[in-house]
Amino acid sequence: MGSKKGLLFDATLCIGCGACYQACKERNRLPPTATHFLEDRLSDQTYTVVKKRGGRFVRQLCMHCEVPTCASVCPVGALEKTAAGPVIYHEERCIGCRYCMLACPFGIPKYEWRKILPRIRKCDLCADRLVAGRPTACAEVCPTGATKFGDRQELIEEARARLRAHPQKYVPRIYGLEEVGGTSVLLLSDVPFERLGYRTDLLREPLPLLTWQVLQKIPNFVIVGGVLLGGIWWITNRRQEVQRRERQERGRDSGEPPRDLPEPSGSSSASDSTNSS
Amino acid sequence: MRWRLRRPGFWQLVFLVILGAGLYSTVVRFTGGLGASTALSDAFPWGLWVGFDVLCGVALAAGGFTISAVVYIFNIERFRPIIRPTILTAFLGYLLVIVALLFDLGRPYRIWHPLVMWNPHSVMFEVAWCVMLYTTVLALEFSPMVFERLRLQRPLRILHALTVPLVILGVILSTLHQSSLGSLYLIVPEKLHPLWYSPLLPVFFFISAIALGCAMTIFESFLSYRAFRKRLEIDLLTDLGKVIVVALAVYLVLKVQDLVGRGALAHVLEPTYEARMFLAEMMLGVIGPMLLLSVRRVRTDHFGLFVSALLVVLGFIMNRLNVSITGMEASSGVSYFPSWTELSVTFMIVALGFALFGLAVKYLPVFPEMEREVAVPPAVAVLRRPWIGTTPLILILGGIVFFGALGVAYSGLSYRERALASPSRLEEEPNIAEGLERLNIPPDVTFPQGEGSPGPVTFRHASHINWERPDCTVCHREPFHILKVEGEASSRPARDWHDARHCGRCHDGKTSFSAQEECAVCHRP
Repeated sequence: MGSKKGLLFDATLCIGCGACYQACKERNRLPPTATHFLEDRLSDQTYTVVKKRGGRFVRQLCMHCEVPTCASVCPVGALEKTAAGPVIYHEERCIGCRYCMLACPFGIPKYEWRKILPRIRKCDLCADRLVAGRPTACAEVCPTGATKFGDRQELIEEARARLRAHPQKYVPRIYGLEEVGGTSVLLLSDVPFERLGYRTDLLREPLPLLTWQVLQKIPNFVIVGGVLLGGIWWITNRRQEVQRRERQERGRDSGEPPRDLPEPSGSSSASDSTNSS
Repeated sequence: MRWRLRRPGFWQLVFLVILGAGLYSTVVRFTGGLGASTALSDAFPWGLWVGFDVLCGVALAAGGFTISAVVYIFNIERFRPIIRPTILTAFLGYLLVIVALLFDLGRPYRIWHPLVMWNPHSVMFEVAWCVMLYTTVLALEFSPMVFERLRLQRPLRILHALTVPLVILGVILSTLHQSSLGSLYLIVPEKLHPLWYSPLLPVFFFISAIALGCAMTIFESFLSYRAFRKRLEIDLLTDLGKVIVVALAVYLVLKVQDLVGRGALAHVLEPTYEARMFLAEMMLGVIGPMLLLSVRRVRTDHFGLFVSALLVVLGFIMNRLNVSITGMEASSGVSYFPSWTELSVTFMIVALGFALFGLAVKYLPVFPEMEREVAVPPAVAVLRRPWIGTTPLILILGGIVFFGALGVAYSGLSYRERALASPSRLEEEPNIAEGLERLNIPPDVTFPQGEGSPGPVTFRHASHINWERPDCTVCHREPFHILKVEGEASSRPARDWHDARHCGRCHDGKTSFSAQEECAVCHRP
């Protein structure tokens, strides 16, 4: 399989021709969804769009995170980061909880709301083409090289070279290098990324760490909690038993009838609500 | 024994109407899908069914594990009389959560998948296992009521021996589950409003669930008292009231500390929809009930306890809806309000809960000492005549809290529209000069001369591009493939090219010169 693949999108080169949009539709056999591609938005039938924002054309597609939030939140492992780079979807596992949609920091997974048996839909970085050694459909048709396909590491080098060659032009940053732990889709731009609709306030660390910090404590919690609660029960139960014995003996000594005391824990008899006065 | 149809009473009628609407919505949900039956969308994938039915339904169980821990583990025996109704509530709560999940999941028949397809990194995986395991534990804790009724001694003895391990397991699972519902939202730091997003979300969910558990116990004790003339354990409920005050106080202190620590305190006073909803939630569910319940006269009064418990329940529901809906709206960019289908299914589930509770009380030994005692007036020592009667005091305090919260929340609504209205910015025309410089258009394609053709045709991309605004999608729709297909050009029969699906689409004499008439423009020998 070799190294991880990825895409580099350079907003300074995009002329908004819609070739990537059309190629994606064609490759995934998706029906037309808008009168013009610039008006379209991501949906269960559209996995990538070109938007006119901030005086630039910019693409929107699954970022294929290095540590994908969607894959980490899926209770049944229906989303998977493959060794080649794509985050793919195993339709036959999905239960339809839509946690991936809630959790994705880029708002990418879409749902087939109109179907009785719906699936999650999103870009899969043309995983089948990658296996065959071909680039993604969108990169293959891009006439300006705005979308470039390659090894993620080489694309990072390429992006750095472009930043070095035109330091006055570009925003000095590769979007996706560190965002939420890094993504397989990288962006370059000469206008601030927020103006392109990309959030720049995302955490540097992978988001799954946020929940893993809590989840990894569970085994310990179960063991410690079990022992602690068991211990408390043992102590309180024993104390009560001792008390009852003592009273019984005292009652025998003084000739009084023993007082009716509640049974130790575990009893479900109906007559032990006496102590509630 | 003969069964006769009685004339249904008012509540039976209400129940039937809710059930009817809910069943109709059920049909809509399972024949039309989630899109047809909910107001959910790609931007807002979780709505009322998660926010209310699941998040609040699970918390109903908090009374069960709190009281059973108190009785069985801490051996505080005097709470034993209320243990069964709380376990019943918890069990029903979980059953109804499962019902709600069957509605909400896109593929409900795969609800068992987490059993065999594991992803321990997912909070939802933990939630799924907690639901399954704790429902089992609750079923076992509930089953003695059934066995007693059926007079089956053997299973009773077995369960009796299992009680303490079951309770310990239940407490652990419950703690995990209540907090994990908060952990679900830990993964959306950039989506959930900072008033609610906190690394302490699991802790907040857990503590508020304990307060709600006690409040629900009080609430349902009063309902049972009214509906079944069941004796009211007012002194026990008063103690639960104290527990609520402590739980809410811990919650409040942690909340303030958390807001200050994250530097989010300033958000509280901002004139935003979220801030007002947050204030309303805190007034209704935390500060108001704390205030009421810390007055001894209110705490020991039937009506006072009832009102305070009701406020806790309402405030709790508001909190869960705020986390799941209010706090997520701004980042999603859409406004969500549940559809009538979502609402009616939710009402149906709540109504089913009440009905099942009623049936269980009627046919099972839920209240062991069901002697239908006439309510004994509470043993409250009124030493001197207070300056204001207890009922007016409760009405005034409760009214201030309730209507104050309502007013604050309402005042927030006006900010909502403004926040959600998308800002209309003037977009500059994109600068595409650099891209055009590097434009690398596909090479010319020469189509060989066919039979009877005046000459071969060379298709040039360059002459088919609008150089002001290049747009590949004008032609690259079916059947003009944009992806390379081997041998495409030569394999097509010649006559196809002139018709309206190919060159003739634009070369029709109107959009451009006609493909049928002006042969020499394209066919060049």
